[in-house]
Amino acid sequence: MSLNKNMRVVIVDDYTTMLRILRNLLRQLEIENVEEANDGDTAFHLMQKSPPDLIISDWNMAPMTGLDLLRKVRADARLRHIPFIMVTAESKTENVIAAKQAGVSNYIVKPFNADTLRAKIASVCGVTA
Amino acid sequence: MEPQFNNASRLLDAHGFLDRVIAELRVLQSPQKDTLVSVLQYLSDHIRTTRSEIGALRQGGNTPLFGNTADELEEIITETARAAGSIMDAAEAIESVAATLGPPANGALMEAVTKIYEASAFQDITGQRITKVVGVLLSLEVKLASLTEAFGSLPQPPNAGPQGDEALLNGPQLMKNASSQSDIDALFETLS
Repeated sequence: MSLNKNMRVVIVDDYTTMLRILRNLLRQLEIENVEEANDGDTAFHLMQKSPPDLIISDWNMAPMTGLDLLRKVRADARLRHIPFIMVTAESKTENVIAAKQAGVSNYIVKPFNADTLRAKIASVCGVTA
Repeated sequence: MEPQFNNASRLLDAHGFLDRVIAELRVLQSPQKDTLVSVLQYLSDHIRTTRSEIGALRQGGNTPLFGNTADELEEIITETARAAGSIMDAAEAIESVAATLGPPANGALMEAVTKIYEASAFQDITGQRITKVVGVLLSLEVKLASLTEAFGSLPQPPNAGPQGDEALLNGPQLMKNASSQSDIDALFETLS
């Protein structure tokens, strides 16, 4: 079973470069239905309008951090089941623990490569990479 | 003698008080005073040296010491973002061309493009690190300002900055202050 190429993905990062990297790497995985948000609020509104199949978010953003966004998503009945991958430079053990406790589906440390992204998406979507 | 301290010039008043205590002790006839006077004199000299060193740090008058450095660092974030954007433009163009080619050229190009995308994450990582350093600098600025206020007016060292040709070595200008090539050309014209 391979990745669902039609899945809708919301990517969230306050760095435009990182959004572009993610979009391009997703395109290489033939995932083209991608929506971008520069902050957690915008991302949450996008999700409320139409729940995506996957959320990929940075942690270190203001005013709403990726962890805040994750908690908000997990507290929302319509969104709580959506796989949420944290892509972040925050790599301390306590960060990973906090994210796990908040319900993150997987965790990617920046800088990352395309293979890692593919593997994590496959893992949270329940398919083989 | 009771020291009268207020918030703004606590250290300055304390230093003045210390000097007065030393002066009063010196005139006493007690044989035990010498050790105490020399310790207090050491403290007084140390405070004077510290004031002078802080004065040297604040040589730019009211110009924030770290403010310009923070601006320079933020400019690095802007410049690297611009460079990363250009690198991505080029990589996306290569990717489009690769899509029109057959194997093995397209595979090799796509692999190279992927590596460019991955490497472009440097901008995000360096940006986050620089933002952290800027935060530390700005917090140091606040602490230094409060220390300066506590010390009152500080002595300004003469000619503390670079002189002569050395004063011309300022590195790249901040974008907001930078002259454009046409500014330079116009200036050059007026000089020739």
